[in-house]
Amino acid sequence: MRFANTAEGYGLLSRVLHWGIALAILGMLGLGTWIDRMTPDLSNFWLFGLHKSIGLTILVLVLVRLAWHRYSPPPVLRAMQHPWELYLARTVHWSLYLLLLAIPLTGWAASSATGIDTLYFDHWTVPPIAPPSESLSDLGFAAHGVLTKMLMLLLLLHIVGALRHGTGPGSALRRMWRG
Amino acid sequence: MTPLRRPPDGRMRAALLALVLALLSVAPASAATHYLLDGSGSQVGFSTDFGNSKITGNFPVSAADLELDFRDVARSNVSVTLDVRSAVASFPFAAQAMKGPKVLDARRHPTIGFRSTRVRRSGNGAVIDGALTLRGVTQPVSLYAVFARPVGSDPGDLDHLIIRLTGAIQRSAFGATGWPDAVGDEVQLDITAWIVRVD
Ligand code: HEM
Repeated sequence: MRFANTAEGYGLLSRVLHWGIALAILGMLGLGTWIDRMTPDLSNFWLFGLHKSIGLTILVLVLVRLAWHRYSPPPVLRAMQHPWELYLARTVHWSLYLLLLAIPLTGWAASSATGIDTLYFDHWTVPPIAPPSESLSDLGFAAHGVLTKMLMLLLLLHIVGALRHGTGPGSALRRMWRG
Repeated sequence: MTPLRRPPDGRMRAALLALVLALLSVAPASAATHYLLDGSGSQVGFSTDFGNSKITGNFPVSAADLELDFRDVARSNVSVTLDVRSAVASFPFAAQAMKGPKVLDARRHPTIGFRSTRVRRSGNGAVIDGALTLRGVTQPVSLYAVFARPVGSDPGDLDHLIIRLTGAIQRSAFGATGWPDAVGDEVQLDITAWIVRVD
């Protein structure tokens, strides 16, 4: 089993990162929507903490993935039926990366702006990245919400796109799953 | 001085009544007596609803200046200053949320001030109407005051006193509106200040 990427296929690290982040994101879209609807209380505070901790982990994993792909470039996308498909796929991929940086950063900034410490898994205090400010925190959470809706839309495009190119040998999905 | 950590009830109430009588008979007929904060133990306890639980905590009193006229209480004046940045609460998140920009905004408004506008006798104590400045907003607030003697002091000794003020405020009136769904609007206050006569 190859660890690094080759011109032909994805190595182990890229695949583990892809599916690990994917799973975390799906869980986080659900968890985020859920906590957004609840009234904070002593009994549910830990869910907010959990959301922040997983979100910061995703941020780190996305940075690791970006760094890794500079060092070990992923295989180029296979030629598609229409040039616009390739263009769309690339645009979606880069937008996903952008959102996966912007979403945790806005969540972190908005949380910092409330003046409340952000704890990583109840244990380490993460430094604030925004000064205490009510307007900054409102703005940050508004952006966090809008960006997560965009992410849901892009994920749908990403999944439909991947499935359109089949699941058989040589398909993008197969390469990401098996290498 | 012996710190008093108990509200003045039970045996304290008896001492209190004795004190009021003593003050009436002992206090000079003339002017008010000047008192300042004594030591660093004075604090403002607060409590408010938080879902099914409560948030409690306290602020240190950083200054108090009182002109007390025990004969003619209406001639008394009280002013108290609190240090918002040193407030503590029953759990750390609550203190941070409270000092944060959505509630007290301690960075811009590091102190809370109270200044009496009218004092009148009521029962064993006094009702103090005044202006409370919190988050830069000033609103009228009424507090109920009772006096007590530190444990162990002589009945006629007015050099050291304890003033206990109780009351409630609506935090929304001051623009301290953060987390309105989770945290109660009414905040109960219970101030205990040790004061010492300075003239
Ligand atoms: C990729 C990572 C993340 C995803 C996918 C994500 C997703 C979400 C979603 C879908 C919501 C609901 C938004 C709405 O409907 O308005 C939400 C809310 C929230 N997120 Fe995140 N989030 C992530 C990272 C973070 C991080 C890193 C933090 C803080 C350090 C954070 C803090 C919050 C908070 C506090 C809320 C609740 C906002 C409120 O109650 O108004 N999130 N998140």
